[in-house]
Amino acid sequence: MRRLAPIATVAVTLVIAVFGQNSGYQQDSSWRAPVEAAARANPLASRPESAAGGQKLFHRNCVECHGEDGSGLIKKHAADLQLPLVQQQSDGTLFWKITNGNPDRGMPSFSKLPELQRWQLVLYLRTLKPKLVPHSKDGNNQ
Amino acid sequence: MRQSFLVIFLVVGTSLLCRSQESPYIVTYDHHLEEPGNLEIENYATLGVPRADQNFYAAPWMEIEYGVTARWTAELYLEGQGTAGDSAVFTGWRIENRFRPLKREHRINPVLYLEYEDITEASRIQKEITGGAPDVTSPNSELQPIKNHELEGKLILSGTIHDWNLAGNFITEKNLSRSEGFEFGYAFGFSRPLATLASAERCRLCRENFIAGVEFYGGLGSTADGVGVRDTAHYVAPVVSWQVSENGSIHFSPSFALNGLGSPMLIRVGYSYEIHGFGSKLAQMFGGKH
Repeated sequence: MRRLAPIATVAVTLVIAVFGQNSGYQQDSSWRAPVEAAARANPLASRPESAAGGQKLFHRNCVECHGEDGSGLIKKHAADLQLPLVQQQSDGTLFWKITNGNPDRGMPSFSKLPELQRWQLVLYLRTLKPKLVPHSKDGNNQ
Repeated sequence: MRQSFLVIFLVVGTSLLCRSQESPYIVTYDHHLEEPGNLEIENYATLGVPRADQNFYAAPWMEIEYGVTARWTAELYLEGQGTAGDSAVFTGWRIENRFRPLKREHRINPVLYLEYEDITEASRIQKEITGGAPDVTSPNSELQPIKNHELEGKLILSGTIHDWNLAGNFITEKNLSRSEGFEFGYAFGFSRPLATLASAERCRLCRENFIAGVEFYGGLGSTADGVGVRDTAHYVAPVVSWQVSENGSIHFSPSFALNGLGSPMLIRVGYSYEIHGFGSKLAQMFGGKH
């Protein structure tokens, strides 16, 4: 029985981890970046080292809803940022979404962060490990 | 005095684990609201440097701000005042609400502000100036019995251009306790973070943790005494905020009078502390689904 305890603990932890994440997140089809915003390139794309600052910003501003690994907390109805559905969106789209937020879904605007810091966040989001989950046809929304 | 320093040290020291890019303005509001579910507790004080016929005063106030939704922030104020050689009094409370009518970020973002005040004439926090100038010479024994029930509205217009925040507030106030007509005031300011790229390390003295700017505020008279900038107090105030921890910010602003009305100088100091996910935690405590 004692031997089973660690296995049971790991199993329960895994179940909680899996069900605590939001891989079944449904996108908001009305949350779309304008074409010109979606086409914007990340000015820090040639400076990948800036992602470290993005990680710090992510922990300050995003972890509360999206979780430490970006997988999204179900209770917050937050997007799983590892999903291809999110990762396939352009840098400009992610930047626009961070800037504007989606008040109807509880996602606040982070326009109070300087522009470069929002691009740093985009850079860091690209480092989150994508999950191999089938996604919907529309890559613009989450 | 030693105890006060100890309390300040403990508050700052114990908060070092904990975020926010706080606006440096003390009087001017910008368009950034509290994040939904977050609670911010702010402690400020206005210190009034006296003229020859005035006494030094300190007017502390506490703000408890809650993000109800991503477009609605509600806030409760509790305020007091102590004057050298006079007395210390509790001067009342205020409830304010800020609403963002537009969902998306625009070049100019309007925010509607509505506040109810239950304060006495002895209030000296001067969170805004409307009408003429506040009475900072009469003793508290004369001012404290005069109660004011006031409604205040503001139109906040604010936007960000190249990381510079520009904000303007147009203020209207109506005292429901006596007929003083409508009083008007203004506040506007600009500010910018000292650095716009976040460093990789956790640091306290990095430039990215500081936001500096300037604000201007004052009265614009009233419908009873005449609308205009004459016989009204006006101030210019450099402002700076320092994010000392993930959740805590220190604010400092000396205001300088631009004319001979009111106090010649107001020194504002404050500390704000943000509790993330307060709404969720509260809901969980009471078995809610949040």
